[in-house]
Amino acid sequence: MTDLATAVHRGPAPAGSQPAAAQGADAARVKIAARDLNFYYNDFHAVKNIRMDIPERKVTAIIGPSGCGKSTLLRVFNRIYAIYPKLRAEGQVLLDGENILDPAYSLNRLRSKVGMVFQKPVPFPMTIHENIAYGIRHHETLSRAQIDERVEQALRAAALWDEVKDKLKRSALGLSGGQQQRLCIARGIALRPQVLLLDEPTSALDPIATGRIEQLIEELKRDYTIVIVTHNMQQAARVSDLTAFMYMGELIEFGDTEKIFTKPDKKQTEDYITGRFG
Amino acid sequence: MSARIYRRRFALNIVAQTLASAAALLALVFLAWILWVTVSRGVQAIGVALFTKITAYADQGGLANAIVGSLIIDGMAIALCAPIGVMAGAYLAEYARGTRLGETIRFLNDILLSAPSIVLGLFVYVIVVLPMTAATGGSVTFSALAGSIALALIGLPVIVRTTDEMLQLVPSTLREAALSLGIPQWKLTVQVLMRAAGSGIVTGVLLALARLAGETAPLLFTAFGNNYMAYGPLAKMASLPAAIYQYTNDPNPALHAIAWAGALLITVFVLALSLVARALFASRKTHHD
Repeated sequence: MTDLATAVHRGPAPAGSQPAAAQGADAARVKIAARDLNFYYNDFHAVKNIRMDIPERKVTAIIGPSGCGKSTLLRVFNRIYAIYPKLRAEGQVLLDGENILDPAYSLNRLRSKVGMVFQKPVPFPMTIHENIAYGIRHHETLSRAQIDERVEQALRAAALWDEVKDKLKRSALGLSGGQQQRLCIARGIALRPQVLLLDEPTSALDPIATGRIEQLIEELKRDYTIVIVTHNMQQAARVSDLTAFMYMGELIEFGDTEKIFTKPDKKQTEDYITGRFG
Repeated sequence: MSARIYRRRFALNIVAQTLASAAALLALVFLAWILWVTVSRGVQAIGVALFTKITAYADQGGLANAIVGSLIIDGMAIALCAPIGVMAGAYLAEYARGTRLGETIRFLNDILLSAPSIVLGLFVYVIVVLPMTAATGGSVTFSALAGSIALALIGLPVIVRTTDEMLQLVPSTLREAALSLGIPQWKLTVQVLMRAAGSGIVTGVLLALARLAGETAPLLFTAFGNNYMAYGPLAKMASLPAAIYQYTNDPNPALHAIAWAGALLITVFVLALSLVARALFASRKTHHD
């Protein structure tokens, strides 16, 4: 079970085979488990037979060259792909053991549990306060004071409070890119989700703003299971506990970040990490 | 060798630039000419009487009933078509995106956009004026309401189209962000996207108002016209375009001057609407950068 190779499954594994879990230092509880997951854009097979176990309260990074299916995989975890026609996922994604791909699994429930932050910051055209209160109000009925408290908590957790506490009533569109992205993270965690999906959250930001977000990820993993897709391998190495390497829609290798970046089992992983392709 | 190519390109560039500038100038000359004639002839009849006297006593030089009639008819028309148009545009952009039904409706809307306005007037005559005449035994025939419905049909496709386009310009990441918070589609559309596209949608409504305010043909068989002041939606009602049409057909040159004044009023109204629409749209752009 200590063999990292057990972490890698390409193709449906027979029942009773080794678990797909990457062997973390302390084998944490599995939060999200993908089983025989396939994804299609119309006829294009974008994600192939993924089997992976994402542990709770860890940062899991997904890396790989452009078009390898890493963002697609992330977008299956909260079913956001479903807003576009002709996309379909097959197989299972178990969140705490329940299959979220089951049409009976309520989207409202799923999205209150799984938050997402996108590549470009997308504040709503509202005030800073309203950006965060909007989602809370949809899911819970709270008094004005309670909402204010939740907004403050979320902004503090996203390390933005001190910068915006005097301008909560101003439009969020006036914030800088890095502030907007932290606002989006605050908006996500204000709903008190269990999982945060980050889709290249710093690719549109400057190095200082990127540093802040990375620091934030470090703090957030105490409370949240974080899955981050990134193009930046140094970032994956810096922030994640586990790393998954994907190529051409397949999960090539998944394990402890340190191991993936120092002595990966697969040649393809090593070639990518060392910059021979991608 | 290359020097020859550059000389050739330089010459071609001058020819192309000259032709394009001449074409632009030609278009501008006619526009300026129309504006000049309208203003210079219109101002002659502008006076207090224009706004206080009614067309029944044409020699007094008044258009008061036509001005009030136009405001009432245009106001009712925009009140009819703006809500329907905005909702239909939202349907096309947010609910029917990429569907065959959506494409069909969009295509039909474009046809309505270019339909001859007299056809819309006749259509309303048949489906509103005639049934109303029959139902009331002739006590209500032509009416301001029928005129408003005809003008609303002119404004409707403009609003549908601009709302649709403005909503489609909102980046899809904003939709994904709201949906990933669990916000349902209708709340997303009304509270997030409409707000993001708000000034663009209002601009579309103003342009629709500008468009329908200048229409004459749809009013001839519907609101008909009235030489006296009327306020009720079921009364025959005067309107500026119809009064202009009536006066220009009159041999009396004094009436022609009043018609020019009416034309000037409509032009100024449309110009003001366009300026407001432009200002709104410009504020939207800076707002989003």
